[in-house]
Amino acid sequence: MSRTTSKKRLLGWLADAALILYFVFALFPIAWMVILSLKPANQLFSTYFSFSPTLDGYRTVLGDSEGIPFVRFFVNSLVVSLGAVALSLLVGLPAAYASARWRFKGSENLMFTLLSFRFAPELTVIIPLFVLYQKLGLFDTYVGMVWVLQLVTLPLIVWIMRSYFADLTPELEQAALLDGYTRKQAFFKVAIPLVKPGIAAVSLLAFIFAWNNFVFPLILTSNEAQTVTVGALSFLGGDRPKYNLTAAAALVSVVPPLLLALTIQRYLVRGLSFGAVKS
Amino acid sequence: MSTAVALRGIRKTYGKTTALDGLDLEVREGEFFCLLGPSGAGKTTTLKTVAGLELPDSGTVELGGKDMRGVEPYDRGVAMCFESYALYPHKSAYDNLASPLRSPRHRLPAAQARERIGEIAELLGISALLDRPVGRLSNGQRQRVALGRVLVRPARAFLLDEPLSHLDAKLRQQMRAELKAIGAVQHTTTLYVTHDSVEALALGDRIGVIRDGRIVQTGTREEIWYRPCDTEVARAFGRPRINLLPGVVTQDGGFRSADGKVELSVGAQAAPGTDVLIGLRPRDITLRGPGHELTGTVYVTEVLGRSVEVTVRLGEQQVSLVAPRPDTTGLRPDDPVRLSVRPENLLLFEADRPERPGRRIEKSA
Amino acid sequence: MGWRLALRPYVLIVPALLLTCGILYPFGLGLYYTLFDFSASKPQPDMVRFENYETVFTQEAFWNSAWVTVLYAVGAAAVETLLGVAVALLLHRSTIVGRVLEKILILPLMIAPVIAAIIWKLMLQPSVGVINYLLRPFGLGGVQWTDTPTGALLSSIAVDVWVYTPFVAILALAGLRSLPTSPFEAAAVDGAGWWYTFRRLTLPMLWPYVLVAVIFRFMDSLKVFDIIYALTEGGPGDSTVVLQIRAYLEAIRFQRYSFGISYTIVLWAVVYLAAMVLVKHLGKIQRKAAEVAAK
Repeated sequence: MSRTTSKKRLLGWLADAALILYFVFALFPIAWMVILSLKPANQLFSTYFSFSPTLDGYRTVLGDSEGIPFVRFFVNSLVVSLGAVALSLLVGLPAAYASARWRFKGSENLMFTLLSFRFAPELTVIIPLFVLYQKLGLFDTYVGMVWVLQLVTLPLIVWIMRSYFADLTPELEQAALLDGYTRKQAFFKVAIPLVKPGIAAVSLLAFIFAWNNFVFPLILTSNEAQTVTVGALSFLGGDRPKYNLTAAAALVSVVPPLLLALTIQRYLVRGLSFGAVKS
Repeated sequence: MSTAVALRGIRKTYGKTTALDGLDLEVREGEFFCLLGPSGAGKTTTLKTVAGLELPDSGTVELGGKDMRGVEPYDRGVAMCFESYALYPHKSAYDNLASPLRSPRHRLPAAQARERIGEIAELLGISALLDRPVGRLSNGQRQRVALGRVLVRPARAFLLDEPLSHLDAKLRQQMRAELKAIGAVQHTTTLYVTHDSVEALALGDRIGVIRDGRIVQTGTREEIWYRPCDTEVARAFGRPRINLLPGVVTQDGGFRSADGKVELSVGAQAAPGTDVLIGLRPRDITLRGPGHELTGTVYVTEVLGRSVEVTVRLGEQQVSLVAPRPDTTGLRPDDPVRLSVRPENLLLFEADRPERPGRRIEKSA
Repeated sequence: MGWRLALRPYVLIVPALLLTCGILYPFGLGLYYTLFDFSASKPQPDMVRFENYETVFTQEAFWNSAWVTVLYAVGAAAVETLLGVAVALLLHRSTIVGRVLEKILILPLMIAPVIAAIIWKLMLQPSVGVINYLLRPFGLGGVQWTDTPTGALLSSIAVDVWVYTPFVAILALAGLRSLPTSPFEAAAVDGAGWWYTFRRLTLPMLWPYVLVAVIFRFMDSLKVFDIIYALTEGGPGDSTVVLQIRAYLEAIRFQRYSFGISYTIVLWAVVYLAAMVLVKHLGKIQRKAAEVAAK
């Protein structure tokens, strides 16, 4: 008896050890970036773990002193990601509600068209847009970016919000109608407050995906509307690699998604598994 | 008396299933009308059709004599209590009750609203719960809040969908007694849906029996009790259930049971030889009373408080009866026993057929 | 009034419909372009019908890219599935260690793949990168990670695995937590061993959840772009030029728009076909899982 328990305990330790090993693999790169970003330029290639830490890397990156306007990229990322999420919510919430509440022609078609965007190679749409945007003057603009990011945010918001609305019994809105409220009031006073957690979770998830997007800004922007994901890469260019600056830029650009991820971790997990399992 | 609610030829289908199949229903002004039927019969759909929450495929809904086609639910002026309660889970009990009184159509000044909500809460025994969020109420408490949300406001008609079903037995009995005494209910037309025949008999000024999306019988409780239109309606009312003994109509319009052991003269208005069922309500059979007499042996007895249910073997059939306890003292299984039943309490039905339950046959006597 | 009621859902959905059309239009335009020889050097294109596709399929470069893409997708999806399920199973034991680590499981997934590639590029640098430094005690100092064809492909897969293993693990963990308990209780009463329970109960019931994750991962890695672009840019030589990278090079670098889009259309077809096959398989697996759960 005691032999099996001690064997069990040993296995338990081994399992925990394996888990820790995976998390070392998962977290070490992030930790290493922090280390790298704090290194002074002259110790970049001569040291690994012991060096004299400095914030110079961050000062250079955020001070735009390498000719790379990183702060502007950061603001651009904020603007286009927020804009894309806002537009998707504005347009997607009514659509999600309608397709959850009424079965009607075209609704399923729209839903599956949206879903198929998820599996289309981005370049199929970007290359024509690259040509089109040049003609329309949308190349390297916020409007152009917000438009194309709908490809990322709209399907996510519509699909997840649809299942949230579908889980909400229609009798609540019916009760509101009989209480004397109009359909619009029933939607805003009953349905919306009840799916608020869903809206919050899906908006943040959509924001993160929009923020993390790389192909769209890579091809459809050049300088004015460029975002951090493309911007961070430009520190790797040049004759002498500035690894500490690259690391600092990379870290700065992952701060918003990581902060969101850590604070609302549970909702995100729910949103992720929800979206994937339901579709 | 004028008609408050009228449904004519309502049909409603969901895909391949038919919920309402040509339903006709009239509720009079100020009346308390009970709609009784098993689950899936179309009771809730009927209420929602009246409320305008479901639109019928065909047929008309009239409220106060006006066709309601194209009139939105919030313009119909009816209040409904949902079986699922449909309380707003993000609000307190008070805010749920206040919801109609804050809407553009039934708005009251806040002070008046508070007073009105206080009255209703008092009436329903939920005054102490008003501050609680709905999520922290028991099912019975939620049901009373849902009922309160209906009663708190003026309405052309109240539509109540099983409003007492989730209360515990004692509270249900109490509420059943009090419901009709509530002022608002007294002067408002009420359409009350239930699957509980006791509730329907206790509450309904008139009762409509719904089955498979149609009303099969409408009438006062006496009409439904004494002249049920078919065996199924007869079975629906009364516990223990009505005894139905199979047999045939004899030459002189009497009844003879299938095994030939029971003969009763009933004056059946049906051709001799017709297969029939005779109905005897357990409470109409006595052990020492006047009327037809039948002899059998005791099969089993079960005490139901002050009365006793006795199951008696009559030839190959069994009938149950309910007698006062003193009448049954000393009865043991296999004791011979004499039953009597008054001829006017006998009900006669055609035999049940697979496609429909047997209809009642008139008696000449 | 009746028609207004019937119209209401359409009114609500119109904005989304318009926006979708706004996205569909470039898709259609792209498809249309593939029938021409549109490029920066030929702004007034001529209709060439299916010549672009013919060229794609007869080019050795295409078959090379297709092969690399499949290797990448299969490799990444396979490793992520195994590792992700293993991590989920370990976390499901919910020891103290597990509960703490679970809170940070999602982190790599929230990092933009391109940033992840940058991070790994710095670490994999052969002479000054930290990975080779850490390997030195094991006598493996000078690995030319991204400078050899195999090394470059494996390194790209490693980055993909680093980013997306949490995705599989999260779905698998959600699946594990929603499994019905009664079959396990019955097995415990019967005295079934750990391995038997795992193979006969856990795995078949968990498989649908895992497969959903696999489908997502496989589809996404077929159209990988960010990671390769930042890590290897397709090199060395053509060794990591996956299809979307090839399309990018053709359309944007060499500005042969029509030809570049043709590549993506072919990729789209492949992704679509793969999705069909996998989703069909998913249906089968789900039925099987339901049977196990019902026992």
